[in-house]
Amino acid sequence: MFQLSNEGLTKVKKELQRYESKDSAIIPALYVAQKENKGWISPDVIHHLSQVMDIAESKITEVFSFYTMFNKKPVGKYHVQVCCTLSCALNGARELADHLCHELKVRAEEMTEDGRFTISKVECLGSCGTAPMMQVNDRYYENLTPESAMNILRGLK
Amino acid sequence: MPKCTINGQEVVVKDGATIIEAIHHNNQKIAHYCWHPGLSVAGVCRLCMVEIEGNPRLQIACNTVVSEGMKINNTSEKVKDAAKWGLDFHLINHPLDCPICDQAGECGLQDQYMEFGKYDPEMAERKVKKKKVVDLGPTVVLDTERCILCSRCVRFTDEVSKTNELGIFNRGDRSEIGTFDGKELDNKYSLNTVDICPVGALTSKDFRFRQRVWYLKDAQSICTGCSTGCNVKVYFNKEGLFRVKPVFNEKVNGYWMCDEGRDIYKFVNKNARLLKGKKKKPTGFEEFFPGALAKDISSLVTADPGKVAFVVTGQFTNEEYDQVFSLWTKKWGSKNIFHWLNSPEKQNEFDGLLLRGDRNPNTQGLLKRLKDFGISTQWKDLITKINTHEIDTVVVAGPENPIWFPDFKEKLASLAKAKSLIWMQSSNHPEFENVPAGTYLIPLKSFVEKEGTFTNYSGLDQKFSKVTTIVSEALTLTEACTLLAGENLMIRPDPNVLIAAHPTADRVTLEHRKKNEFVFRRGAL
Ligand code: SF4
Ligand code: SF4
Ligand code: FES
Ligand code: FES
Repeated sequence: MFQLSNEGLTKVKKELQRYESKDSAIIPALYVAQKENKGWISPDVIHHLSQVMDIAESKITEVFSFYTMFNKKPVGKYHVQVCCTLSCALNGARELADHLCHELKVRAEEMTEDGRFTISKVECLGSCGTAPMMQVNDRYYENLTPESAMNILRGLK
Repeated sequence: MPKCTINGQEVVVKDGATIIEAIHHNNQKIAHYCWHPGLSVAGVCRLCMVEIEGNPRLQIACNTVVSEGMKINNTSEKVKDAAKWGLDFHLINHPLDCPICDQAGECGLQDQYMEFGKYDPEMAERKVKKKKVVDLGPTVVLDTERCILCSRCVRFTDEVSKTNELGIFNRGDRSEIGTFDGKELDNKYSLNTVDICPVGALTSKDFRFRQRVWYLKDAQSICTGCSTGCNVKVYFNKEGLFRVKPVFNEKVNGYWMCDEGRDIYKFVNKNARLLKGKKKKPTGFEEFFPGALAKDISSLVTADPGKVAFVVTGQFTNEEYDQVFSLWTKKWGSKNIFHWLNSPEKQNEFDGLLLRGDRNPNTQGLLKRLKDFGISTQWKDLITKINTHEIDTVVVAGPENPIWFPDFKEKLASLAKAKSLIWMQSSNHPEFENVPAGTYLIPLKSFVEKEGTFTNYSGLDQKFSKVTTIVSEALTLTEACTLLAGENLMIRPDPNVLIAAHPTADRVTLEHRKKNEFVFRRGAL
């Protein structure tokens, strides 16, 4: 059973105070919870949030399933999101993502066997000037080549 | 109270009324899916576009409040064009499986398409496939492809039943109705979502595939499921009754009814009914046309009316009570009338929305008449009197739906101790097999086979009319008591033969009734 940490709980409670309508706090609450649940939202998480926030599970699920940034299944310790929108695509982002998948022997959106990586292709991350780029958990890596990207991943513990 | 013109007609509306409300009030038609008078406004289907003078763009009628002097038009070419295209977009991913869809014949998409259809779709893309036949819970089946995402069902579980099971999940053309983590749609009012779903996305497990709706007639009636007395429509044909749906009545049930109330058609149909008058012999039951039993029965009652008790439930009409009580008290000078109240401890229960613990449609009417006729008897006195042989004949006017009479078996057993027992009831019951020899069973009519008045929990009198005949030999309570009085019961066009006050519907021959009886045959009409 998932439970927010005390710190997480305080954050969610604060978000609840912040908006006119409680429903507006669903996104920030999901964000906090996703961080605490190894990067994804399980039904457990929604159930817990529903109790904490006193909002129906179906309502939280509506928001959660609308946004791709909330993960519907477990992700690796490092969630590698490769931007594949225009600037990045023109600069070889798709090939880059395919290279990473090939090297790690995993398909896009799936987790490596050792549970360390998930490679996802995502839409613009707002760093178009330094395309191609990727985001690994909370960090941006820019001006990549397939090799440099792979080296970065290898360097992660 | 702003004044506006709708299609050239001047209309005065309530403050704050929306255009769609104004149009409805004015009895004009407007295409719409997501708006429902019993729910909040969503404004998502975009079908209710209207033209407002001075406004270059069309507006949705359901979310635009009427202002003074507004000139509204919903019949112009521009409006029709908007509906046409709106409809075409609704159909982009719609499977168009009307031939296997239970909603066909009463579907919002079909209806609107007849009026605004484009008839030459330009969609060349593949349709998005989604889940079909999703088991949502005990009562409802979902077809996600057919859903037009009007969100009525979601708003219903949110605002009316307050159970919040449903939601719209995912995004864009993947959006679909669902429940959190496969939880069930399970609440006491769940079938209202089927009624308000404008398409065949939500269908009732109980009704689906049992009849094509164009083979059904409908007629208005009153639910007999509890003392709320929701206004309903029953749907029927020669094979029987098939479903019950709510009818709007602001004072009673609004737009809704409970799921249990929808089951009332089941105990009215022939397979649940007592079809013939019967007399229990040591070897089993012998069947008669009730009229043929008149002599035997009335001799039991009229020999010494003082030793006869009448047991009555809150399931009959005010008219029946009036006539029967006056027969008892005035003709026979007897006050041995006893009220059989099922589950007295639940009488005042109320679920906060509609359903009440008193599962009788007319307890109030009965109580009032008991009082008017000066009858104040106690159930326990009846039992004592039976045991001391002060009462030797018991006449029972039993419940239409014995399921809601948990004490049925026990009551039957204690009343069967009397020397003779005459049990009048519309439905059959397995316990009847165990009645002692000499017992008479008389088939009564159900609420759809007679007319009359029920008084609901709040004292509101609600009249209802006869819908159809199901069991041709069944009698109203009044007719049955005519039998008891030893008067000749014949069903013929002379209204004076029956003491029933409302025999209009029955001024026909028995032959006629028999001919119009339901036939339980599949596929026949
Ligand atoms: S299932 Fe029916 S009522 Fe619910 S959103 Fe879809 S079309 Fe509307
Ligand atoms: S609330 Fe009572 S009267 Fe209304 S539908 Fe349910 S059982 Fe029938
Ligand atoms: S296109 Fe890749 S970050 Fe904007
Ligand atoms: S009825 Fe107005 S937008 Fe649906």
